[in-house]
Amino acid sequence: MMHDFTLRVAGESGEGVITVGETVARIAAREGLQLVTFRTFPAEIKGGACMMQLRLSDQKISYHGEKVDCLVALNQVALDENFPDLKEQGVLLCEADCDVIEDGLTATVYKVPFERIAVREIGSRISKNIVVLGVLAELLGIPKPRIEEFLAEKFAKKSEAILDHNMQALEKGIRFARENFSKRERFGFPRGKPERHLLMTGNEAIALGSAAAGVKCFFGYPITPASEIMEWLAVHLPKLGGKVLQTEDEISAICAVAGASWAGEKAMTATSGPGVSLMSEALGLLSIAEIPAVIVDSQRGGPSTGLPTKTEQSDLMLAIHGSHGDAPRVVIAPTSVSECITMMGAAFYFAEKYQIPVIVLVDQALSARVETVKPGIVEQISQSSRLRAQAPAEGNFARYKLANSPVSPAAIPGTDGCEHMVTGMEHDEFGNFACDDETHTAMTVKRFRKLEEIENDPLTQNLCESIGEGKADIGVVTWGSSAGPVEEAIQESRRLGISVRGLVPKILNPLPHAQMKKFFSEVNRVIVPELNFTGQLASQIRATYCVPTISLTKIKGVPLEPSEIVAKIIEAADGLQQRSVRRYGRAG
Amino acid sequence: MEEQDKFCDYLSGVNPVWCPGCGYYGILGALVEAFVDLKLPSKELALISGIGCASRLPYFVKSYGFHSIHGRALPIAQGVKIANPNLTVVAVGGDGDGLAIGGGHFPHAARNNADLTYILFNNAIYGMTKGQFSPTTTLLSSTKTSPFGLTGDALNPSALAIVYGASFVARGFSVRKEQLKDLIMQGIRHPGFAFIEILSSCSSFNTTDMNVAHLLKAIDTVPADHDPEDPVAALRLAGNDSKIHLGVLRRSPRPSLEDRFQEIQERARRGKSQDIDSLVRQFA
Repeated sequence: MMHDFTLRVAGESGEGVITVGETVARIAAREGLQLVTFRTFPAEIKGGACMMQLRLSDQKISYHGEKVDCLVALNQVALDENFPDLKEQGVLLCEADCDVIEDGLTATVYKVPFERIAVREIGSRISKNIVVLGVLAELLGIPKPRIEEFLAEKFAKKSEAILDHNMQALEKGIRFARENFSKRERFGFPRGKPERHLLMTGNEAIALGSAAAGVKCFFGYPITPASEIMEWLAVHLPKLGGKVLQTEDEISAICAVAGASWAGEKAMTATSGPGVSLMSEALGLLSIAEIPAVIVDSQRGGPSTGLPTKTEQSDLMLAIHGSHGDAPRVVIAPTSVSECITMMGAAFYFAEKYQIPVIVLVDQALSARVETVKPGIVEQISQSSRLRAQAPAEGNFARYKLANSPVSPAAIPGTDGCEHMVTGMEHDEFGNFACDDETHTAMTVKRFRKLEEIENDPLTQNLCESIGEGKADIGVVTWGSSAGPVEEAIQESRRLGISVRGLVPKILNPLPHAQMKKFFSEVNRVIVPELNFTGQLASQIRATYCVPTISLTKIKGVPLEPSEIVAKIIEAADGLQQRSVRRYGRAG
Repeated sequence: MEEQDKFCDYLSGVNPVWCPGCGYYGILGALVEAFVDLKLPSKELALISGIGCASRLPYFVKSYGFHSIHGRALPIAQGVKIANPNLTVVAVGGDGDGLAIGGGHFPHAARNNADLTYILFNNAIYGMTKGQFSPTTTLLSSTKTSPFGLTGDALNPSALAIVYGASFVARGFSVRKEQLKDLIMQGIRHPGFAFIEILSSCSSFNTTDMNVAHLLKAIDTVPADHDPEDPVAALRLAGNDSKIHLGVLRRSPRPSLEDRFQEIQERARRGKSQDIDSLVRQFA
C-alpha cells in the first residue's frame, strides 16, 4: 500500500482537468488524508494548457511533489509537456490517439479512449472528465460510493439527466480500467486517520481567516491572483454583518480601508504587486496617522504587468520599504494554506494592537493551491482590539501622546470629548501639523519604537520556525511558500549525510532578531532560496546581520523544487569541505 | 456633553492659515453656521479632506478631522461612512484635489451615493503650491506652469456632478454666505451623495477667473420654476456659459449606499443567522 502518491492531470482548459483534480482532492480530504496541490493557469480566459497536481499522504507534507506517480494526459500537447515529470516506474494514462515514444520507456502506458467512451457510450463529450475520474477511481482504489456521493452533491442543482450522464460515465471509466489494467499497476488509496480534513485554497483560507479575525469592511479592486479573496468575502461577509465594496481602483480601496479603520472597524484589502505599488502613498499615510490596516499582497511575476498568472516572491522590498519617507509597517508571510488562516489573525492582532499597517505576503502558488486544513484551526486565531481612549478631564484630547508606550490610546469618531485631527502631515500630540525638527524626530522615534515592541511581542516568538536544532554546516533561510520545498530538501540532504538545518521567519518586518541571530551563530554557511531575481530576503539578511549569504533564486513562474535546493546544499557543503581542507593545509 | 449652540463652540482653537482676503474664510463661516443651525454634535461630525488650501479646513473646526493625502478625501469619506453610518460625514477640498489628482474618485462616489456631503472649493488655481493652473482655470492668460497660455479647456464641476449621477448638486458663492449656509444645510440633510460647488477667489493667485466684482455681475439664482428632478434641465443650468446659476441644480433622491448594504446583508442571510462555524463547514 502506498502512503505517498502524486497525481497530475493535464489537458486543455475547459476539458475538466480541474474538476477531476478537485474531486479526488475532496474525497481524499474526507478520508482524512493530507493533501498539497498545485495548478497552473493559462493567461487566456478560454483554452490554453492547464494542469493540476495532487500529492496525497497519510503523513504531514508541505510540498506538492516533484515527479509524479501517475500522469493523466488528455491530449498530445499535455503529454509532451508533462511526460518528463513522470517517475520511471510511473503510470501514464493518455488519450488513445496520443503518440508515445516507446524507446527506453520504463513507465506503464495505458491508452484510454476517454473521448470515444464519452461521445459514443454516454452521448456527451463533456462527460469525458468523469470517465477519467472512473478510470482513476479504479487505479487508485477510491471506493465508488465516495465519488457518487460527491457527484450527487456537486450536481445537486442540475437536472437528473446531467447527474445520470455523470454516473454512467463514472461506471464506464471504472469498467474500462477493470477490463484493461493489470492488477500490479494499481495503487491502494492511502487510508488516512479517520479525521475529516477541510479542503480549501490559500485565497479561501485568507478570506475565512479574515472573517474569523473579525474583519467588518473589505475594499478591493479585482486583480489576479487575489480576486478570489474579495469574491469569497462578497458572498459570506454580509452574512456576518460585514460590508464589501469593489472600489474604482486600489488607491480608493486602501483609502477606504483607512477611513473605515479610523472610524473604528477592522478593515482590509487584498491585491497583488501592481495594487501595492498604487497603494504605496496611502501606506505612508496609515503609518504616520497610526491607523490599523491589513493589506494582503498575493505576489505574481513583476515588474509592471509582468507575469500576471505566474508565481514569484519579488515584492518583499516593496512590502518593507514601499512608500516615501520613513514609514514603518509590519510584514508577515504565511507558508501554507493553514497558516493563511492563522496569519490573518496575527495580521489584525498586530494592526489593532500597534495601530500600524500590516502587509500579508503570499504568492500565486499559495493563493491558488488547494490544501488540507485541520478543522479546529479557526479557533486558534488571535483575537485583538484597539487600545481605546477616555475623554481627558480637561483640555484637548492628545491622540498621539508621547509616553512610555509608543502606542497611544485611540478615540474613534463618535466618542464624547475626544474630537481630534489625524493627518498625513507631521503633527504634535494633538494631531495638529507641526513641522519643527524636534516634533518630527520624537514622532518618528515613537512610530518606529512600535517595531521594537512587536519584535518582543509573545505572538512574534511563534512566527519563526526552526527546521532542526543546534549547530550545522549549512543553514537554509527562506520565506513564504518556498518553505515547503525547503523543508523537503533539508530532509533529503540529511538522508545524504549533510549537516543542515533551516529557519523560516514568518514575520519579515521586523525580523525575529533573537532567533535569527542565534541561527546565524550556529551555522557555517547560509543559503537563501527565494523566488525572485535579486535575492530580496538575502539582501535584508546581509544588511541587517552582516552575514554573507548564498542566494538561490528562481524566476520561472513556478515554485522551487526540492531537488534544486538539495543541489545548492550539496554545492555549499562541498565548498565548505574544500575550504576546511585548505585551512587545514595552511595550518599544517 | 456641553451645550453646542454658538459659533465659537465649533471652533477648534487652531487659527486658519489662509491668506488675508481669501474667500475660504467665508466658506468656513457658512459651514460652521450650518453646523450650529443643524445642531450637529461635533463628536458625530467627521470632516475629511485631501491636500490643498481648502483641505486645511478640518483643523479649524471642532470635530473628528482627517487631513489625508492629495485627491483621496472621497474614498476615505466613503470608508468612514460605511464603517459608521451614524456619523455626519463632510468631505472638503479644492478644484485641483477633487478634479485633477482625485478626479477618478468623483464619479464613483456620485454613483455609489453614500450619504455624505462633498464641498468643492473652486478657486480655479493651485494656491498651496503658489499659482499653477488647475482643471477649472479659464481666463488666466498666464500661470506659473502655463506662462504662454493654457494647454486645455476648463472642467465644469457642477455639470460633471450631474452627469456622474450625484443625487444632489448645488452651486454657491463664498461671498453669498446666507445662501451658502442654506445650501450646505440642504446638502447635509440630503440622504445620499450631496455635491456643492463653491466659487471663491484666490486673493494671492487668481482674482481673474474668480474676480468677485465680475462674478457678482454674472451670477443668477436658479429660477423658481426649475425642476431639479429633471437632469437635462439641471445640466442646462449648470452648463450655461453666460450666466452662473447659484442654488440647487439637481435633487433626485434614490437609495443610498447604506440602504444597498442593508439589502445586500438581508439577501445574503436569507433569513438565517450565520456564524463562522457555518462558514467553516462548507470546506468539509
